[in-house]
Amino acid sequence: MTPVWWAQIIAVIRLETKKTFFAKRGLWVYLLALMPVVLFLGHAIVVGHQNQARVRLASKNERPLTHQDLAGIANGMTRQEVIQRLGKTPVAYSWDERGDGPNSSRIVVHDTYEYSDGVFELYIRMEGGKVTGTTLGDGETLGEDSMVFAGVFQFFYLRLAVFFGCLGIFMNLFRGELLDKSLHFYFLAPIRRDILMAGKYLAGLVAATVIFTTSTALQIIALAWSVDPNALNAYLYHGHGFADGLSYLGITLLACVGYGSFFLAAGLLFRNPILPAAGVLIWEALNPFLPAVLQKISIIYYLKSLCPVEVPADPGTHPLVALFISNPDPISAPIAIAGVIMVSLLVLFVSSFKVRRMEINYTTE
Amino acid sequence: MTPEITLENVSKFYGEVLGVNRVSLSIPPGITSLVGPNGAGKTTLMNLMTGLIRPTRGEIRILGHRTDEPEQLFKAVGYCTQYDSFPKGLTGYQFINLYLRLFGYTARLADELAWRAIERANMVDAASRKVAGYSKGMRQRIRLAQALCHEPRVLILDEPLNGLDPLARAEMIVLFRSVASQGCHVIISSHILHEVDMISDQVILLSNGYVVAEGQIHDVRNEIQEHPAQILIRCNRPRELASKLIELEQAVEVRMHPDGLGLLIKTRDADQFYLTLNRLAQNGLEVESVAPADDDVNSVYEYLIGNEGALS
Repeated sequence: MTPVWWAQIIAVIRLETKKTFFAKRGLWVYLLALMPVVLFLGHAIVVGHQNQARVRLASKNERPLTHQDLAGIANGMTRQEVIQRLGKTPVAYSWDERGDGPNSSRIVVHDTYEYSDGVFELYIRMEGGKVTGTTLGDGETLGEDSMVFAGVFQFFYLRLAVFFGCLGIFMNLFRGELLDKSLHFYFLAPIRRDILMAGKYLAGLVAATVIFTTSTALQIIALAWSVDPNALNAYLYHGHGFADGLSYLGITLLACVGYGSFFLAAGLLFRNPILPAAGVLIWEALNPFLPAVLQKISIIYYLKSLCPVEVPADPGTHPLVALFISNPDPISAPIAIAGVIMVSLLVLFVSSFKVRRMEINYTTE
Repeated sequence: MTPEITLENVSKFYGEVLGVNRVSLSIPPGITSLVGPNGAGKTTLMNLMTGLIRPTRGEIRILGHRTDEPEQLFKAVGYCTQYDSFPKGLTGYQFINLYLRLFGYTARLADELAWRAIERANMVDAASRKVAGYSKGMRQRIRLAQALCHEPRVLILDEPLNGLDPLARAEMIVLFRSVASQGCHVIISSHILHEVDMISDQVILLSNGYVVAEGQIHDVRNEIQEHPAQILIRCNRPRELASKLIELEQAVEVRMHPDGLGLLIKTRDADQFYLTLNRLAQNGLEVESVAPADDDVNSVYEYLIGNEGALS
């Protein structure tokens, strides 16, 4: 790389980044990036309300309760035993039912009591003054939340949001200019076509990375918002929360690197973005079912191995679906990172041949 | 380095549609005009010379540079296309400046060259306005400024006078002349023949993708044997002169000029005719002027291309 090439790449990035960030035809990319943020924000608001409700419920207890107190209630206990252990319930519902059918003269009294220690919430169902069932519900735990986040990240965010976002950004780098009839502006400058392509790719990468890593960061923040600060602190700094967060940001960046190269190439090769998008989407979805050699020519193959939390398949899941969800043959992080970069460089290298032979013929667009 | 633009047996087909066919040219410095009707291949030829399209066959060298080496080619070439579209959201100044930054120039040099080009195109007042708000003429001028901004030695201009008012046309013609006078190549396509005639050092006539004729207008005209040369003679006794000329072997046709003050002669041997005319003039006839009447692009175009197609 000569200093002139660097100066040219920087000039292209300067021109393209602004266009990519503010392109009207790219507004939907922002919406796509915002969707999971809205999802987790909504989740955080609901969980926050639930937590506050538990605290309010706990404040109405006759005396402070612990988790052991709540867990100590068992089927068969009488109402008096429950009240003796937990005090008078702050929330109770009661209704009567005619026992043994509509003609029966026996009346069964149903009661539901609710208690909370501020974190957990206990529902007690009673019939005729005896406990017939309990449900001890807890607030959202970080473990569950991280699992949900991993699922959304792998199966919606990476495979759909970042995928289609990169399609919108990178396919437009050349395709959009052909449609706007302004590509000749670049082709009439003393800049090698492959240097121009590198500049455009990096500009797209800057835009995609900023949009999607910001979205990832906002999703993590939204998710963490509803979690107890002490638990969060412990998870971030004494557990692996911080490393996981950084991993997700890194994976998002690598997804942009990988899918960006694919869609830049597609923008050079195809007029209609639907065909390559469908092709790559199917290829990525079929990845677990492909022979080992072909699996490696894919972006999701490497990204899956980098995800810090594996999403477990429920027992009884169909083997094919389980294969799709799980990652039976994960590869090490350095190999996965190198793999994404190598595949991307290979795709860009092939694209450079196409861009060097590209002609300006707007009438056929 | 070869100071020429050469095309060797160049053909371009768009699928089965002919763009240009078997074009071989050697274009010297100066102003060269490409003339031809719609679809003759003028823009195709210019796009080929600038590497925007690739020849199906043949080779093109611009001052020794291949057209598939933009990093070398466009240091020497500036091309003002007919594409009336610009990168979005840019002012006239930014349009030129960012183009210059693609050369790898420093911000300072790019700024200096941009303003110089903007001044040459007489666009200083509008330079800070968005290109999207420009009139057609202003857009044309800012494109000219872009083609000129890096001071290229080859300037290729596709219909550069389109959309310009008469004053701006005159300014641009002066500009092209000044560039050509520095030993540069200026290649222009135009459909306004009297302007082509006025500014061109040589012409290339195209029809249906083929080069019909090339060279200086006078030489091209002399090559056209099937059409006798037309000469306009202004004299004090045109009728008397007409009666003498009609007897000459060289005169194919003698007509009175519509204003009655001169004669239009057609001859197949202009040199011999001039000698004879000199002898006649010595016998008391006052000849005010003798000038070729069809030694211009318009006539040459008419003779060679005729009514095959209206000019673009």
